Amino acid sequence: MRVFVTGAAGFLGTATAKAAAAAGHEVLAMHRPSSQLGYSGVEPVAGDLRQPGPWRDRLADCEAVIHCAAAASGDLATQLAGTVLATENLLAALPAGLKRFVHVSSFSVYDFGEPKWFGSLHESTATEHNPARRDAYTQTKLLQEEMVRSHCQQRGIPLVVVRPGAIYGPGKDWDFGRAMKLGKLDLIFAPSSRMRLVHVDDCAKALVAALDAPVEGELIVNVVGEDQPSHWSFHRRARRAGAAVGTPVPVPYPLVRALGAAAWLASRLFFRGKARLPEMLDLPRQQVRWRNLRYPASKAKARLGWSETVPLSQGIGGIVKK
Amino acid sequence: MTSQIMPPLRAAVIGCGAIAYEHLPFVARSNAAMPVALCDRSRAMADAAARHFGLAVPLYTDAEEMLAKERPDIVHVLTPPQSHDPLVRAALGAGAHVVCEKPMTGSTAETVGLLDAADAAGKVLVESRNLLWNDPVLELMEMVRGGKLGEVRECEVLLTLDFLGGPFGDSNLAGDIGLPGGAVHDFLPHLVYLFQALTGAGEAECVIGEYTNRSGNARAGYDFCDVLLRAGPVRGRLRVATDVEPSAFRVILRGSEGSVESDLYNPFQRFEGRPYTGKTYPLGQVRAGLSLARAGLGNLRNKIGQHGTTHGLPRMLAAVYAAIREGRAPPITPAEMLATARLTDQILALRSAP
Repeated sequence: MRVFVTGAAGFLGTATAKAAAAAGHEVLAMHRPSSQLGYSGVEPVAGDLRQPGPWRDRLADCEAVIHCAAAASGDLATQLAGTVLATENLLAALPAGLKRFVHVSSFSVYDFGEPKWFGSLHESTATEHNPARRDAYTQTKLLQEEMVRSHCQQRGIPLVVVRPGAIYGPGKDWDFGRAMKLGKLDLIFAPSSRMRLVHVDDCAKALVAALDAPVEGELIVNVVGEDQPSHWSFHRRARRAGAAVGTPVPVPYPLVRALGAAAWLASRLFFRGKARLPEMLDLPRQQVRWRNLRYPASKAKARLGWSETVPLSQGIGGIVKK
Repeated sequence: MTSQIMPPLRAAVIGCGAIAYEHLPFVARSNAAMPVALCDRSRAMADAAARHFGLAVPLYTDAEEMLAKERPDIVHVLTPPQSHDPLVRAALGAGAHVVCEKPMTGSTAETVGLLDAADAAGKVLVESRNLLWNDPVLELMEMVRGGKLGEVRECEVLLTLDFLGGPFGDSNLAGDIGLPGGAVHDFLPHLVYLFQALTGAGEAECVIGEYTNRSGNARAGYDFCDVLLRAGPVRGRLRVATDVEPSAFRVILRGSEGSVESDLYNPFQRFEGRPYTGKTYPLGQVRAGLSLARAGLGNLRNKIGQHGTTHGLPRMLAAVYAAIREGRAPPITPAEMLATARLTDQILALRSAP
């Protein structure tokens, strides 16, 4: 299949373009002009989705798209341009008869308050009903997913929405589970809550598998690893593997929530509810990162035929700089 | 009729990028405004803005169509500068007052053209100069008006900001930013109108200095300026730089009776009048220290409370809307806009060869 991969110089896009090429696909790897592809075996396509350009001509004869490109950081304006505007331009340029659109969404679109205590977060969990209370990433990823869904429905393009967990790998270590570093101390919030880690190579394989999976209309799958360590255990295992981490100081989730409630009250009393709080003090965002939930990946296995190939211990070894 | 019982102005916004998120809180929530439409070449961006502010208004990708269908009383033109001229003219032609983001145009000649068009249409045209409504600037203006500084002799405005890290210097984007003075030009009106408002100066008799590209970033065009100017008894220095830290928007006023320094990014106020000498020397030091401590706490409060650098914008819009509704002269006059455009042109004349 002739596959157009966006964001192909990024963390996930690089692994995805490589995995697609390794699976025998003909890959057009789109990257921003200022970033170079550090690998071969693909056709590079330099361009920026925020603007129309010659990249649209290269897309014209592709059979499938894996859309990895998004702005994962920056202010709202930056993320609107890099995620929403970019996706609008991509969708407008899709060729007629596209056989598959694989969209990289995120766990951040979910409403983490919906599952019951110690429950599971799965594909049928509701998406965030009040995006304004979350961060720019959630707001823009929700808009992006909705745009993609609407466009694919209108054009009859089979769509697979992949919602990866916390993608880790060389260069991305999620701070080894710590919430904050205080000198030689690492504060571990909600030490027993699970992390929804997935190795970047495994995530890429799921995206490539989504190219061929049987789909009628739309399929949504979560992609997350089998071994879901707690924040504390991830920190401990990384330390054993040689990571330069500090002394762990566990902060129980109820205490985290109490701090959040105090910050919320202070915001209401002194800032008319408009205070800009950091993630660790912001009640809605606290839930996203530290609420103790289970993250089953059974649907990805059943529908994509996907399975984890990089065990956590091996993955940790790859991210630890000795 | 007072503005409280007058109907709100039917307001439309053209351009739903970053600066729209500073205008729309006023448009969405003020009793003086009734939002009627959002317009952007990208429907997705218009939709995102509408959702963000909970606005159930029609969305357009064509400004002419929006103006014809919605007939707004006032239009906020918030698009990139090179598109201002036709959009402002279209809005005026559709019978709307216009608030246009700065820089409204790239030259005095274009500014004159738009002001003439507004005059002919009998409508108000205002180029945004929101910093004049910021707390630190209001305090400086009060000190000047109250004579605390005596006769103002010098004004320095320094903007240090890594704007090359954003769209102004993003080499992934094709084309330049569409202003003759490059990236610096986008900020220059702020410096010029601050200088003029704080000193009462208009055009300068003498402008010398450097206006150049130090980074080599082609998209930015120009990323540095450092100019000295003289306007009557007033001396000025206006600087924009991207290659120094930290980010600052420093304003220093020196007068015959005292000097004051402030910053619009991390506000503080340091006033120095007659020197504390002899037995009062410790008192002067304690006062200076307390002033800095107070500023630090204030900045922390502002940071948490999202009282940012654009906090003057809704105040400016409120003043503009009130003037229009009550039939008064706008708080930013054509003469002031023209004076800013002329001094900006004088500074742009220092541009080095590209």
